[in-house]
Amino acid sequence: MKHARVTAALAAAVLAGASAACSTDGGGEATTGPIKVGSINGVTGLFQTPEVPKAVQAVFDEVNEAGGVNGRELELISVDDAMNPQRSTEAALDLIQTEGVVALVGSSSAVDCGLNRGTYSKHEIVSIPAVGVDPACFTSPNIAPVNPGPFGLLTAMLYYASEELGHDRVCIDYTVLPGSGGGVDAAIQEWSDLTGKELAHQELSVGEGDPTKYLVADKNAGCQAVLYNGPVGPYFAQAKTQGMEDVDFIVGANSYTDANAQAIPPGLHVYAGTEWQPYTDATLPGNERWSKIIEENEIQRTAFSQGAVMSADVFVEVLRTIEGDITRSSVTEAFKSMEPVEYPMVGTPWVFGPGEAHNPVKGSRFVKAEGGAWQVLPEGFIVPGEQN
Amino acid sequence: MVNSVIAGLTSGGVYALLGLCVVLTYRLVAVVNFTMAAVGAMGAFVMVSLTDAGVSAWLALPVGVAAGAALSAALGAVLVRWFGGHGQNTKAAVSVALYVALMAVGLRLFGSTTTGAHSFPRPFDAPVFSAGSVVVPQSALVSLAFAVLITAGVGLVLHRTRVGLRLQALSEQPSTAQVVGIAAPRLALVVWVVIGAVTTLVILLVAPRLGGDFSTLGKLINTALAVAMLGAFRSLPLTLAGGLVLGCLEGLSAAVEAVQQYQGVVPFLVIVVLLWWRSRHEVWDTAHSR
Repeated sequence: MKHARVTAALAAAVLAGASAACSTDGGGEATTGPIKVGSINGVTGLFQTPEVPKAVQAVFDEVNEAGGVNGRELELISVDDAMNPQRSTEAALDLIQTEGVVALVGSSSAVDCGLNRGTYSKHEIVSIPAVGVDPACFTSPNIAPVNPGPFGLLTAMLYYASEELGHDRVCIDYTVLPGSGGGVDAAIQEWSDLTGKELAHQELSVGEGDPTKYLVADKNAGCQAVLYNGPVGPYFAQAKTQGMEDVDFIVGANSYTDANAQAIPPGLHVYAGTEWQPYTDATLPGNERWSKIIEENEIQRTAFSQGAVMSADVFVEVLRTIEGDITRSSVTEAFKSMEPVEYPMVGTPWVFGPGEAHNPVKGSRFVKAEGGAWQVLPEGFIVPGEQN
Repeated sequence: MVNSVIAGLTSGGVYALLGLCVVLTYRLVAVVNFTMAAVGAMGAFVMVSLTDAGVSAWLALPVGVAAGAALSAALGAVLVRWFGGHGQNTKAAVSVALYVALMAVGLRLFGSTTTGAHSFPRPFDAPVFSAGSVVVPQSALVSLAFAVLITAGVGLVLHRTRVGLRLQALSEQPSTAQVVGIAAPRLALVVWVVIGAVTTLVILLVAPRLGGDFSTLGKLINTALAVAMLGAFRSLPLTLAGGLVLGCLEGLSAAVEAVQQYQGVVPFLVIVVLLWWRSRHEVWDTAHSR
């Protein structure tokens, strides 16, 4: 028995050595064969975005059918981390060291950025997430998402409430996740600096339970507009009960779903800030291309799938600018020195660039809940500080 | 601040209802039932799925309640048949396992917080009166009345009727009850059916205030257990009072700026202190012999 164990240990050691030897190829230095691209997605678990890797794959398929990039095909390796920190960390190391991917494109995990930012910097690899969820996605040197993110969106929502809807008494009822408090404060400060206005009332610890107490506090503070990011059903049911038909409520992109539009009682004024062109209208600028890809490949129509198509598109566009071999270092170099890319699905041009933190996309477009569906409002993208 | 406390009070009735369901199950079948809210949520979602499909609410309501009752009976059957002879700890552990399974199935069937949000029927939404800036709707009074009805009704049934006596025997000593001729497994199943039906009604009543999606409704078991604790899992009137206390505390902690950040914790800290205060004269061996 003991002998068998020793043999097993030796075999494991030999295998480990062999895989280490193989991973010389794992530096993303291969110059022939397919260009390997990694992606960490929540497919199962609490934050599910199965449509994201499908949409990225669809864009890559289209590129490959047209001959690839520099004659090389794009190969997507998507790993499901199930929002499990250990799986996410292992996925990043495996993709970089074993698979030898040249970049990460279209990640959509709620834990990836915070856990793997150090790994990406260490291995000098760039990540262009389809959906930046946690604050680290917007504050890391080697990560640049294609969405404005929760903080950028918050500034845009405040700006919309005070400047577009013209309210002086703007309030906020927010659930702030651990680690996001600083980001929220900074977003509110940015709005104050731009507009010279202060919040009339703020509640940053909305929790579970009956929302009536928050709504009553808003009424007492005389709020004309209230920003809210929690579950939609009970909050708006009680807002209706409390007779708050004269208040403009603004919810974040996380609440921009068909089910939520139906859950909002008629008579209330509820707006939602979106991160990309509202996905519920396929005819909007930039949406035609996304809509075509989604339809042809029978992928779920969600805002996240827009991020997926956009991240894949900007990646391919930058890849085509590379002269010479496409390796991890040449890809990283190309992104850090790229020119801004115009992409009509978002409010501002997208760029990676050399900085220590990246939040290139600003602004939001707004929709309003009417008759159980979201109606796109005509103003176009509202970018804080820019005349619309 | 007064307004916030009043706002909190209006939610006292729904919190009390949740706690009562837990205490009721514990009193009648001696199980700390973690599946309670999830079972009610299943029944409630069967109902709203039917009304979404165009079925009239009057037909959908009994079907939803029956679904909740049937599911509760199925879970009860598992506990009675396979774990009947086991201690309370084992039964509680089994109900935790069943809770996890039910939540996973429910999420799959009825969607997540954003994709499965629902507008539940609000038949008692008309305002009754305003206190300060708080509009008190009928539903707040209906919840409170329902809670009082359960408290008084169950008290009467347990202490004044023959069935009540048998039920008490069943929960205290199931095997002895069987020896003296009480059809214990069958009676226990009937109790599970009733509890499932009542829980579904309760969840339907609290949904417009406390949660519009399956996950939020299923997780209401946390609140329910906290309220039940105030009644020490035994006293229905204290549980009722516990619901009102929790509502008040929530309103208060949302209004006082110094503790606003910790408002999720404050009510539970107070509950711990209350429990400690109540048990200050207890002698361990006699008070906790069960």
